[in-house]
Amino acid sequence: MKKILATLLVGLAAASAGCSNLERSRDLANPNVPPAVTAVQVCSNCHGIDGNSISPNFPRLAGQQPAYFVAQLENFRGQHRSDPAGFEYMWGLSHHLTDDQIKGLADYFSKQVPQPNAQVDAKQMAAGKEIYEKGIPAKEAPPCITCHGPKAEGLASFPRLANQHQDYLVKQLQVFQRTDERPNTPMTQIAHLISHDEMESVAGYLQAFPHDKK
Amino acid sequence: MCSFIMAIQRSILRQAALVFGTLGMIAALFPLDSQALPLFARQTGQNCMACHAGGQFPELTPYGRMFKLTGYTIGDRVKVPLSVMALATYTKVGDTSKSDNSAGDFQKNGSPIFANASAFLGGKITDNIGAFVQWTYDNYAAPTADGSSYTGHAGMDNVDIRYADRFITPSRDLIFGVSLNNNPSVSDPWNTAAAWMQYVPVPSPTSNQFIDGAAPFPGFGSGGNLAGINMYMYLNKLVYAELGTYQTAKGIFSPLSAGLDNAGTTKLQGANNPYWRLALTHEWGPHNIMVGTSGMIAHVYDDPTDTSDSNSVSRILNTGLDAQYQYILDPHTVTAQVAYMRQKTDYSANTVAANHDGTNVSPYFAADGITPLAPFNDSDTTNVFRAKLTYVYQAKYGGSLAFFNLTGTTNTALQSSGYDSNGQVTSNDPMETGIASTRVNGNLSGNPATRGLTYEAFWMPVQYARVGVQYTAYDKYNGATDNYDGLGRNARDNNSLFFYVWGAY
Repeated sequence: MKKILATLLVGLAAASAGCSNLERSRDLANPNVPPAVTAVQVCSNCHGIDGNSISPNFPRLAGQQPAYFVAQLENFRGQHRSDPAGFEYMWGLSHHLTDDQIKGLADYFSKQVPQPNAQVDAKQMAAGKEIYEKGIPAKEAPPCITCHGPKAEGLASFPRLANQHQDYLVKQLQVFQRTDERPNTPMTQIAHLISHDEMESVAGYLQAFPHDKK
Repeated sequence: MCSFIMAIQRSILRQAALVFGTLGMIAALFPLDSQALPLFARQTGQNCMACHAGGQFPELTPYGRMFKLTGYTIGDRVKVPLSVMALATYTKVGDTSKSDNSAGDFQKNGSPIFANASAFLGGKITDNIGAFVQWTYDNYAAPTADGSSYTGHAGMDNVDIRYADRFITPSRDLIFGVSLNNNPSVSDPWNTAAAWMQYVPVPSPTSNQFIDGAAPFPGFGSGGNLAGINMYMYLNKLVYAELGTYQTAKGIFSPLSAGLDNAGTTKLQGANNPYWRLALTHEWGPHNIMVGTSGMIAHVYDDPTDTSDSNSVSRILNTGLDAQYQYILDPHTVTAQVAYMRQKTDYSANTVAANHDGTNVSPYFAADGITPLAPFNDSDTTNVFRAKLTYVYQAKYGGSLAFFNLTGTTNTALQSSGYDSNGQVTSNDPMETGIASTRVNGNLSGNPATRGLTYEAFWMPVQYARVGVQYTAYDKYNGATDNYDGLGRNARDNNSLFFYVWGAY
């Protein structure tokens, strides 16, 4: 029995000692690991294999705009985006990613199919829809639809918001409103015009974004 | 309880300067740099709270479980795969007067001590192999021969070296791995596993025998310092299954019990000591739940220094059920855990023979001082239930409440105090048969029942330092609420306050 166990151990060690397993690697410092491998072996642990994360602690990435995705990962890598979700989770993970790997990850997640997310109550849905499509004229807050699109699918550097987690969206709006942790975005100015309840409503509407609009 | 707390307030204040001085030193030594973190955090570049629920070690988040199950291989290999941690503690027991030797029974009571320190080695080794190796120095490992002080000792603590691979297709997510480890269930990623459910940190129970770390928890009868090879799989984040077997940590496996002397190393008969684990898991929104079962059959030699006689092997069967619920959504972390473990011990053939041929006889009598006690049992069964509810806010401020309840069969062999031929209770051994008999640890009933609650509050000023206070209150101890030793000591006399400062780098 002991010989079998020892052989098993030595065999496993020899099989992987010093060599990398590029098809199923979780190494984030190896530029040769294909982005699709990193996506499913590492990113998937929080964001889901298909980019539809389950926990609202982690944003959904399925169908995300590649340009926005690349910009965010570059900001994490360069430590320019310092909101808690950024530095607690993403600074270290993105530290050694190459430009090509980042582009590859953006490509992988942009091609994943967004799945419906949890529903919110009808009152919040209606209020959120109103804000998303018409803004808040009394506060001169512009409609979200202008940049993020009629299907909330985003465009280039404007992120996709449809089916994103409500909690994540609210927290990011608060980051824009209360901090300078995500600099150089028009959202800093816009978020100052929105109350917490309005954030909850529009984020709830986006989480439960109507399926027939896809 | 109120008078007890008031009585200890003054001594706590006296120690406060020391404790906060230590904390200040920790904070000064470890700058607020997200890269300056213990081993695994350095490997992934992430905060502790990515893997530990609310930042409280050792409880893992769903991501932390995946990090462990994929063999500690996520991230970059670090140049110096080393971490250290240290623990300073202060303990106060409710009543030290009901003792034959309070200086010996409660030697470090009310004294701040440097309790222990660990060095960790491991992390990512290859794309498929990673390790978690803990080497611990216990400053209070054993009392000196005259009982006046303690001797320190260093030895292997937890070891988990694993190979893991993960196969992902659009319809399947399969993690497969093999763990070489030295403690049944240390390979488990849930905190309800026997190896992880105790409150931590824990100083050596030899210096603080009634804190929660020494209270009943659903453990495996085989103990640790073994050598096990476990194979496991986790399919579609739904089904976790693990199967392994343990043997004595000797020969090529001897590093797994390094530092332990021969008498202190558990000796198992052969390599057929199976361990199994099955769990179902589910995540929805910020919630996740696990329901599982585990068990082990261990064949343990009665005397670790003599493995020549196969009739001196006891068989221990453990079967457990456990469940864990987590809610993790910044800034809140809520965890509810329950675990139950049944243990049936069939004593060795030699013990059973001695029970029946009159060799094993209790030196005590029934309360009348005349009637002999029942013979020793050929087998015993214990049941341990433990439940814990924890809340952490902002990964900084936390509190928990735990309930533990040990019940079991009554066995006169467990008695370490009893009635002599005059019908008087004695903590001495009237027949001088060598039964260890101390008053504080006395057991008049022969029943192991112990029950209580532990409350904890803690503060993590930075993610690698924690200050905590625990209070463990006993409702029953060694089979009784009152007078469990027959000499007036009550379960509540063992109520203990435990204060600690923990730091890691």
